[in-house]
Amino acid sequence: MKRVFTSPFLWLGVAFFVVLAAWPMATNDPTLREDLFLILMFITMALSLNIILGFTGYVNFGHIVFFGLGGYMGIYVMSILHWGLFTAMLVGGISASVLAFILGAIILRLRGAYFALATIGINEMMLAFVSNFKPFGSGIGLSLDFGVYKAYGGAGKALWLSFILLAIAALLAFIITFVLKKSKFGLGLMVIREDEDAAMVMGIPTPTFKNLAYTLSAFLPGVVGVLYFFKNGNIEPGEAFNLEMSIEVLVMIMLGGFGTVSGPVIGAALYEEIRSWLIVNPLLQSMHLVVAGILLLAIILFVPIGVVGWIRQRLPLVRRYLE
Amino acid sequence: MRKLLFVLLVVVMVVPLAACGGKATPTKAPVATKAPVATKAPAPAVKTLTIGFTASETGKYNVESTGQELGLKLWAKRVNGAGGLKLNDGNTYKIALKSYDDESKKERVQQLYTRLINDDKVDLLVSPYSSGLTDAAAVIAEQYKKIMVTTGAASDATYKKGYAHVFQLYTPASRYLTSVLDLLKAKDPSAKKVAIVYEKSKFATAVAVGAKAYAEKNGFNVVMYEGYDSGTSDFGPFINKIAANKPDAIIGGGHYQDGSTFSKQLYEKKVPVKLVGILVAPSSPKFAELGDAAVGITAPAQWAAGANYSPETAKAAGFEWFGPSSGEIIKAFAGAGVKEPSYQAVGGYAAGLILEKALLTAGSPEVAKVKKALEDMKIMIFYGSYNVDTSAGAHGLQIAHDMVVIQWQKVSGKLQKVIVWPEAAKTHSAIYPLR
Repeated sequence: MKRVFTSPFLWLGVAFFVVLAAWPMATNDPTLREDLFLILMFITMALSLNIILGFTGYVNFGHIVFFGLGGYMGIYVMSILHWGLFTAMLVGGISASVLAFILGAIILRLRGAYFALATIGINEMMLAFVSNFKPFGSGIGLSLDFGVYKAYGGAGKALWLSFILLAIAALLAFIITFVLKKSKFGLGLMVIREDEDAAMVMGIPTPTFKNLAYTLSAFLPGVVGVLYFFKNGNIEPGEAFNLEMSIEVLVMIMLGGFGTVSGPVIGAALYEEIRSWLIVNPLLQSMHLVVAGILLLAIILFVPIGVVGWIRQRLPLVRRYLE
Repeated sequence: MRKLLFVLLVVVMVVPLAACGGKATPTKAPVATKAPVATKAPAPAVKTLTIGFTASETGKYNVESTGQELGLKLWAKRVNGAGGLKLNDGNTYKIALKSYDDESKKERVQQLYTRLINDDKVDLLVSPYSSGLTDAAAVIAEQYKKIMVTTGAASDATYKKGYAHVFQLYTPASRYLTSVLDLLKAKDPSAKKVAIVYEKSKFATAVAVGAKAYAEKNGFNVVMYEGYDSGTSDFGPFINKIAANKPDAIIGGGHYQDGSTFSKQLYEKKVPVKLVGILVAPSSPKFAELGDAAVGITAPAQWAAGANYSPETAKAAGFEWFGPSSGEIIKAFAGAGVKEPSYQAVGGYAAGLILEKALLTAGSPEVAKVKKALEDMKIMIFYGSYNVDTSAGAHGLQIAHDMVVIQWQKVSGKLQKVIVWPEAAKTHSAIYPLR
């Protein structure tokens, strides 16, 4: 474990996140903060999905369920019970993990396409449930009063606070992923990914490992959901359980390199950067989705192992610094 | 070698950061808010007033939102074509519009409104299309104390959160179907039984909640209040329950597909009812494809071509008249290649018109003055009336604008939409009772 914490890659990554968080604060640039908020959000989502997708090999289309449920639980306790943001973040994270634990016990018995289909079904099930659940505002959703932000020094400071908290969540996701990859537990997950039957024969308690990975992967999306909807001031079913966002996060992982630590970070940052740049580019802004689509298609067709996978394959000496 | 690789890796990790930094650097100042002042003292300065907004060029709101954007563009074209806005501060202001594509996604809205305010330095804001996107934009507008006129955003909740700089143009969702109930009351004071059947979406649920409260307050008996899931195509169970309750009127619906299917099945099963009011679907020209099933179906609309709002109706209602007539607006849209503008598209024009009047009253683009003008404003334009609540609990909520009620009728043997309510706007009498 000591070797894990002396790894240059880990500290390089920590420095990356610190610089990313400090930059808009040092320059006092709210536009940069908003751009980076989305990048950090997608990085956290991608890193957490990578635990079950990249390490364990289970394709999960329903990762957004944890983001949505966490968001709903957090906004509920803030708007109805008048709890603070920090408690709401914990509630969001824990409830997402509890749901994952219960669901995992059932659906992780499935493999391959069956598991992937079940995760889509869960997303639709949650969408239907929340749309009919009165305490969550049914189809209308829940709203936060503008006065809520006063407790954090006003809306301006509350937006900065949510950015800082998100940066911490992203850093946590990075450290967890790295430590996981270097641990025996992580190794067990990767064995499951390569050959689950062989893993069982070798004595790895595969159901427990898979469920733990699934539960772990759900916590941070729950926290991010609270921060995102706190910042927006309202939550509604369609936005909270948006399957499209799940797929986008999946593409980010594929772009960066699945099963790696830096892959989801680079994939999420690249994907979001390309999209953001195209949106505000006067020449390409009406064509941005077309350009982004072609670019992604090209990368996935010609570099299927992702950017990080490609670099690691071509430059063996880099491997120590690019996990 | 290892050191070299380490340096290379640092460079690779920093590239995304550099890209972000590049974006943050102010590029071209797109807005010349402080244009060069004329050298000769007596000549008034010509300045640029920039209005910022996001439009959903892509995504699920594309049609409505780009229509709204076109409306705003046509308004700006008219103002600039007339030489700009001459305000009491001695300056003439040309209108510039600055917009980005929000992809119909909430996560883009806050990012782009922050950019509009901080980088593009816009003076005033107009909302994106839809209540959900507007909710996200309103947090940013309020944080920077920027005036935002909302159009395409009917949800009441947005204006009950304590905002002081957000002003609504549309009739709120809670009053969407109340005009249909007013029509029922005016046509037949003895009609008391109402069935509300609505789609369980955010918008339709908010409308149904408001309609139920209004019906009960006005002495109607809500004999049925049922929601159906989005995508429902078989309304048989609902129709059987409606028939058992024998209501005088059926109101509800949600979006186009379910609304048109519901109307068709009501006709096929010959449900005996005096009035049917359905959201959204009957406002579309496509609704005519239902043929005889469309006849007599009413729908609320924020505006419809032919609405008779005029200086005379304004005077009769105690409002000040402002701006061009409906005919001129339709002509402007026709000039842009749109023969039948939707109420969302025309709403974009109306939002510009409200800002124009506020600026003229305020005499300068100063936020406090424009805010006061929007709070005190009580006018009627081609789109209907404008007057907002100024109480702390519902600041900016529209209280004067009424929905027009359209009905499909056969005029000279041809199926067409006519306006049957309110009195100030109607072009035809409503078919009543329906069956």
